[in-house]
Amino acid sequence: MPQANIMHTASDKERQTQLALWLLLPLAAMLFSLAGHAETDTAPTNDTCYVDGLPDRLRCGFVTVPENYAHPEGRQLNIHYAVLPAIKPSFTKEALLAIAGGPGQSAIENAPTFDRMLSKVRQQRDILLIDQRGTGQSNLLQCEGEGFEGALSLNEDDLDIASETQKCLDGLDADVSQYGSEIALKDFEAVRAHLGYDKLHVYGISYGTRMAQLYMRHYPQVLATVTLDGVVPMQQSVLHIGDAIDRAIGLLLDDCSSNALCHGQFADLEQDLQQVNTRLAQAPVSSQVRDPLTNEPLTLVMTRAKFMGALRMAMYTPNIRALLPHAIHQAAQDNFQAIMGLYALTIDSTGIAAGMHSSVVCGEDWQRFSQVERQQAEQNYFTREMVDAFDLSCPIWNVPAVDAEFSAPITSNIPTLVLSGQLDPATPPSWGEMAMAQLSNAKHFIAPYATHGVAYQSCGNDLIAQLVSNNSLDGLSDDCLSKDVRRNFYLNANTVEALPAAKQALSSTSHTEAQGVNHD
Amino acid sequence: MINTIIAMVRKELIDAARDKRSVMAGLYYAIGAPLMMCGMFMLLIGQITSPEALNITITHGERAPDLVKFLASDDISQGDKADRKEIELIISQDYASNMAKSRAAELTLIADNSNEKLQSSIRRIEKSLQQYSAEMGSLRLIARGIDPKVVQPIKVTIEDQATSDSKGGMILGIAIFMMVYAVFISGMNLAIDTSAGERERNSLALLLSHPVSTRDIVLAKVTAVTIFAMLGLILTLIISKIAYGFVPWQELGFSVNITPDFIGLMLVIGLPIALMAASLQLFVSFMAKSFKEAQSYLTIVLIVPMMLSMAASYNIAPDTLQWLPVSGQMQALIAFIKGKEIPQMQLLLSSATTLAITLALMFGMERSLKSEKIVFGL
Repeated sequence: MPQANIMHTASDKERQTQLALWLLLPLAAMLFSLAGHAETDTAPTNDTCYVDGLPDRLRCGFVTVPENYAHPEGRQLNIHYAVLPAIKPSFTKEALLAIAGGPGQSAIENAPTFDRMLSKVRQQRDILLIDQRGTGQSNLLQCEGEGFEGALSLNEDDLDIASETQKCLDGLDADVSQYGSEIALKDFEAVRAHLGYDKLHVYGISYGTRMAQLYMRHYPQVLATVTLDGVVPMQQSVLHIGDAIDRAIGLLLDDCSSNALCHGQFADLEQDLQQVNTRLAQAPVSSQVRDPLTNEPLTLVMTRAKFMGALRMAMYTPNIRALLPHAIHQAAQDNFQAIMGLYALTIDSTGIAAGMHSSVVCGEDWQRFSQVERQQAEQNYFTREMVDAFDLSCPIWNVPAVDAEFSAPITSNIPTLVLSGQLDPATPPSWGEMAMAQLSNAKHFIAPYATHGVAYQSCGNDLIAQLVSNNSLDGLSDDCLSKDVRRNFYLNANTVEALPAAKQALSSTSHTEAQGVNHD
Repeated sequence: MINTIIAMVRKELIDAARDKRSVMAGLYYAIGAPLMMCGMFMLLIGQITSPEALNITITHGERAPDLVKFLASDDISQGDKADRKEIELIISQDYASNMAKSRAAELTLIADNSNEKLQSSIRRIEKSLQQYSAEMGSLRLIARGIDPKVVQPIKVTIEDQATSDSKGGMILGIAIFMMVYAVFISGMNLAIDTSAGERERNSLALLLSHPVSTRDIVLAKVTAVTIFAMLGLILTLIISKIAYGFVPWQELGFSVNITPDFIGLMLVIGLPIALMAASLQLFVSFMAKSFKEAQSYLTIVLIVPMMLSMAASYNIAPDTLQWLPVSGQMQALIAFIKGKEIPQMQLLLSSATTLAITLALMFGMERSLKSEKIVFGL
């Protein structure tokens, strides 16, 4: 089954990075979500706090809300927020609210990436980050897992999803039916009112775009502008992500075959992929390896789920995607080292609150996934795996379905910028088009070389800064998005530049020619 | 007695207003200095921040097309020849072949690191290359089935206690210095005019022949000069408040904010300084034999408060200096701006010293105005 989300390489710390993406899989997230969640030092009594990876002083605090708004006297939740203060506060009654993805990621833990991406906006306006209920510091709905030490040796088919789900549910001190998007939106409003902002500019990434769209639907009066980056349209169940992943794999194969260097090195990439898939579908391949992190010996059980999961998650980040042709080719040669390296990245960096993830997906996506859609999904590896997993976990989670109106398109004339990445393995441009259906004051830009999270990988963040400062879409142009930033693919485990063999061949020809001339 | 002083202060001010040009010259500083400061900083910010699109010379870019692409995505590229900075990046001949074998591939960066205009650009290129190198290093490890975290044994978490206001403290130190200086400059012409000038016009003796005490005369003159000094300070503050708002400080990552609270504090702290400045300038001018001589002496005398306040703003002062007049008050103002606690003891003591000096100078003047040598400039 598909693996969790964030790509976090040491390398790309500074730039485009891991963000918070979509993923879906109740069980994998649950199992592997262990302890690794980063604590931020927030003392609620103190107004100042720091977040891992960001040296700046932030303003932090929380607002207390009822878990169930219908029973205001019942259990209370502390919804934590962090404000990245404007460098030069010129608009003190405005802020940009950045909403993280997942569902289940903490916006506050992602403060460093938001800060880098939104640095221009922050020059004059505060950036507001809220840990949505069930994530981060706001009553985290996390599940105890086995720990990822065992993840590489595990055959995912042996997992008992139902009992793991039950165990997780029993361990949570929460009414899991209260952690859907629309309820969480009320918390966001409470935080906005508490902080005294009159107008919000909203930026949503991935699942965050659903929250942003709900904001447009329920509280249009407080929104100045909206940016939807990697859109999940209201009309769409996120379980359709399987089609998006297949599409992205197709684009990867196309990119490699249209790139002379990549094609020269990996001419049969499609067959390689096919071959590995077929082989792993029959039976997992076990081998003795060293743990990627600790170097302890272990048995790697390479399953199709791991292989496809590694592939899927690598496609989120352009610079990691560059390693895929090599990794696939090696896998076809029976060497799963690179795949294991990629897979290891996905294990311990999910940052997804599995319980909150299930509450959202089971309530808002699983139940509206129709029979027809299910039948179509049989053809798609990823969707099938996901639907199967949710079919086991959602009945246990037992969250009521959202109303039919939930899936209606958003009608709005708020200036809205919609960004899609052509290579996105989660929310392809067609989803952005669908979100545009009834937006009367919106522009949809497709970044040809971006994956998921256009603003992190292109000039998309400058467009957001422009939108926020002008309060309008006028003059916004997608020219800069088409700047060709495509990088080479890795041709072996070391290089992205042409291999010397090819060069030597070239130079030896010229050499012989030169000799030939001499002879003449 | 109060009435006589008020009448004389009015006389002094009317006198001053008559010679608009010389008196306004002092106030020009109050208006001009903050404007010039802002203009200078605007230029400076434009020069020291690396341009959005950084153009450099890349020699043999064809040997490392992926690197060139990476730099371009960071807005570092060859660009137009005319706009290129004097920075050259040379890619070695065996770059690709070393890269393919995981040997160190060599790049040469040629630039003059002492050139302030290039420093931020050079750092930006270095950072970019570092990033590229780190990214490749990580992916090489991943390709070998190793987690890149293995090569990052230490994680340093930095908690910077500065706020965007306190980061601007250095700039504000200079700004405060200009404001304090405005107190000294604004009243200077009037001080000379009303002392040495009055004597040259022979109206001083006439004034002394009236039935008013020399103490009243001294008080009136000091008050008039102080009014001008404070006027200069108020003008500087107003102009600064407006002008500093236009400078894009945020591009340097901090803000410079002249708040009403700061203006209030500056005025309160500035008053004793203005009194001292007025009496010092009058005292020196009376001692001088002529208008011109007074001007020369005052220029030299002005260096002392200037040094004191410079010492405070650049933090080069030994600790004892913070108890002295002017520098003590300056340090209190800087502490206020950085959001720290105001050192009250220090502020009180330095203000008290300031007033004590003022009284001593006024007393000295009162005595000297009784001497014929001074009155007739003999």
